[in-house]
Amino acid sequence: MSRGIGNRTVWWWISLAAMVVMVVFLLYPLLTILTGSLGGGDRNGWAQLLADPRYLEAVRNTLVLAAAVTSLSVCLGVPLAYLASRYEFPGKSALALLPLIALVIPEVIAAQTWLMLVGNNGVVTRALRSVDIILPSFYGWPGLIVSLTFTYYAYVYISTLAAIRGFDVQLEEAARSLGTSPVRSRLKVLVPVIMPSVMAGALLVFTMVMGNFGTSSILGGKVRLLSVMTYQAAVAEGGADPVMQSTLASVAVGLIVIVLFLQRWILSRGRYQVVQGRNARPVPLSGRQGWLIGGAAGAVVIVSLMPLIMLVTGAFTVSRGPVMRWGEWTLANFERLLLTNPTPILNTLIYSAVATLIGIGISTLVSYMIVKKKNLFTPALDYLSTLPLALSGTAIGIGLAMSFNSGWLHLTGTGAIVVLAYVIRRLPFSMRSASSTLYNIPDSIEEASISLGVAPVPSFFKVVLPLMVPAIASAMVLTWAVTVSELSASIIVYSGGRETMPIQIYKLIDSNLMAQASAMGVLLLAVILVPIFVATKLFRVELFSSR
Amino acid sequence: MGIDIQKLGVAYGDHRVIDGLSLKIEPGSFFTLLGPSGCGKTTLLRTIAGFIDAAAGRILFGDKDVTGLPAHRRDIGMVFQDYALFPDKTVNDNVAYGLRARGQDGATIRRKVGEALERVGLGHLGQRHPAALSGGQRQRVALARALVIQPTVLLMDEPLSNLDAKLRVQVRDTITELQREAGITTVFVTHDQEEALAMSDRIGVMKSGRLEQVGTPSEIYRDSVSSYVADFVGAANTVEIDAPGAAQGMVTVGLGGHSISARVPAPLAGSRAVLIARPEDIALSPQGTGGANCVQGTVSRRQYLGGKTHYLIGIGADVALAVETHGDGHDRYMPGADVDLSFDPMKTLVLAS
Repeated sequence: MSRGIGNRTVWWWISLAAMVVMVVFLLYPLLTILTGSLGGGDRNGWAQLLADPRYLEAVRNTLVLAAAVTSLSVCLGVPLAYLASRYEFPGKSALALLPLIALVIPEVIAAQTWLMLVGNNGVVTRALRSVDIILPSFYGWPGLIVSLTFTYYAYVYISTLAAIRGFDVQLEEAARSLGTSPVRSRLKVLVPVIMPSVMAGALLVFTMVMGNFGTSSILGGKVRLLSVMTYQAAVAEGGADPVMQSTLASVAVGLIVIVLFLQRWILSRGRYQVVQGRNARPVPLSGRQGWLIGGAAGAVVIVSLMPLIMLVTGAFTVSRGPVMRWGEWTLANFERLLLTNPTPILNTLIYSAVATLIGIGISTLVSYMIVKKKNLFTPALDYLSTLPLALSGTAIGIGLAMSFNSGWLHLTGTGAIVVLAYVIRRLPFSMRSASSTLYNIPDSIEEASISLGVAPVPSFFKVVLPLMVPAIASAMVLTWAVTVSELSASIIVYSGGRETMPIQIYKLIDSNLMAQASAMGVLLLAVILVPIFVATKLFRVELFSSR
Repeated sequence: MGIDIQKLGVAYGDHRVIDGLSLKIEPGSFFTLLGPSGCGKTTLLRTIAGFIDAAAGRILFGDKDVTGLPAHRRDIGMVFQDYALFPDKTVNDNVAYGLRARGQDGATIRRKVGEALERVGLGHLGQRHPAALSGGQRQRVALARALVIQPTVLLMDEPLSNLDAKLRVQVRDTITELQREAGITTVFVTHDQEEALAMSDRIGVMKSGRLEQVGTPSEIYRDSVSSYVADFVGAANTVEIDAPGAAQGMVTVGLGGHSISARVPAPLAGSRAVLIARPEDIALSPQGTGGANCVQGTVSRRQYLGGKTHYLIGIGADVALAVETHGDGHDRYMPGADVDLSFDPMKTLVLAS
């Protein structure tokens, strides 16, 4: 509302600048991808796509995989969330770790540790083989579905949990008072109300599986998947295929856009505003029932934590090439990483730090303008800043690589393009975190400052920014955590000497050097967890207050 | 310094919410903008403050044209409905904020902050944060913060509406007292007619972006220029009647089959008019004792309220008037009783419908 003559110019110029940045680094690469698919002379990318059954198979496989993982995630996440919100049972506190696991364990590491367990050379596989039980190969559908489900189900869990917690039990009681049985009242009243949140979580999983590159590439085996084929078209040795890479990336974008539209449509039909009422008091479960439920929930948590245990063990285990000598301990894996080639670690630290600072700076300013300083550009800024959600990491990587390969802004081969990929890929995430408290800051605070004689922009820094600091701090930590583990976009744009830790892990897995990959994984987790620990314990930043 | 608003226009997009509004506010006076929500009173206040651009016209503080001046350079003090205290700053720092922005030295700031808080009765709470204060205390801090900078004009946007009834009266008295003491030209926005009548030197009643009437509280109450104003400021019986010709001054109109004298303060237009009579301006007496200028009616409802009694009295088939009585025997008429209703011709108005 505040449109004083003096401040219009300042915020107007800032939003114009933000607009230019978004158009150049987001919209232009996207258009480059889309137009790139139309190149290729008389047979453009789309003709080639339709002519080659491999591509259509990849699209179909991707959709089937996403549907399977999403259904399983709902089957795991929803009951778990219900148990966590309505019952007390032994070991319940372990469930609190789930959101952290979802955000923190990079999916490459999850895929890797599954391989170390049940891969061709895995611990379990070999143990069973010694008693003549031959496990089916984990590569392909089994590995993809199991690994991705345990990587992503926590998103369904988190959004369902929030919905059930926000649900007013009085509605349920009202239904019971009107003569329905407890079980039926729950189904009739609770289910429709939490459904939008469950759907939101499920569709998020769906889009993440469609865009997934790391696990798909490591565990996919012979199953053709869109993201992997796109990647191969982009970086294939002996000549990438620029037309096909942009065509496949366009397909990926199109699919996610369709899913997101579906989501909006579903949400717009079933958005219930539940007035915050009395929350349900968790019912203690004891005896056999308690142990049964606690055991089931515990099993899920243990399987989710398995990557961590496997990773740490592997990191300290002696290895010779691909052969792990379990039971023999060493620090050599770390030594090798830290002494002979510390570049990926330094790269990750530098790129992620720069990307987090830039990302948070942009998100803070842009979300502030979107919420508080609406003008001609802010609706467009709002859309553009959520656009990366509709782009898989692979698509973002290809877009940037194609757009800044030459010409006026030549970024290929620099660290800047990795930073750029990071910022863009994580922009929606940091935007959402940064804007979470803005709605709670009344406009009048800023107007009070202006009325007392402080100009609009200094007013923002003096009275609004200090109130945003807690949100910014938590946004920074979370953005950092998801940025350091970014793989699918950076693996397309990086060049020799610019490897990051996830890229290095991916390469080590590819070379079957699991011990070193584990050691790098442990270091990566440290890079993720230490700031989270410092922020929450030392600075008392509340990470999940906005959820 | 006075405020002079000349032919002001304000638009949201293409929609003109205020069009050609002119208003003069005397230096040092307490002026209230009164009206229902959506009438444009807050928009007008925010335009005076500089938070909304004027699309047309001029705003002058004294002789100085501030129309093009951004809010932070208009030298205003503003008090908000939600207090708008800076939650991360102590009470002292909140009050010192404007003084610091004006670059005053530390000692002066400390002295002025101390005095300002004393004046609102909160001298002992300077170290607290706003969250540790009650609503009434918060609004007093906000008032101290706005007054300590000795602004040219003080603007208040429904400052009492978040407070409960008892506090509202207390803070109201504080505001009135401080405003008189400081002599700062004040514009006060409210939808509460009692607040407006109690606090103001003059009141402007607003209706869809226009000033319907501007006057002293008693002018607004006694000489309402329209049924809208009469109805909004205090309770009023409004009865649709046939217009008594184009006459101005004293006229005779028909009411429920009787004729009574009433006053026409402004020329009428059209064939219909509205008769306005406030409940406390109608006197009741036993049937046949009403004297001149009275009509007969039957009590249909009686509500005893201690010091006064509310009656609803039917006149003829389709007119019912609210009457309020005080004094001896004010509660003696029971439902079903036939009574005379006497009208004071000066206090009974006929206005354009």
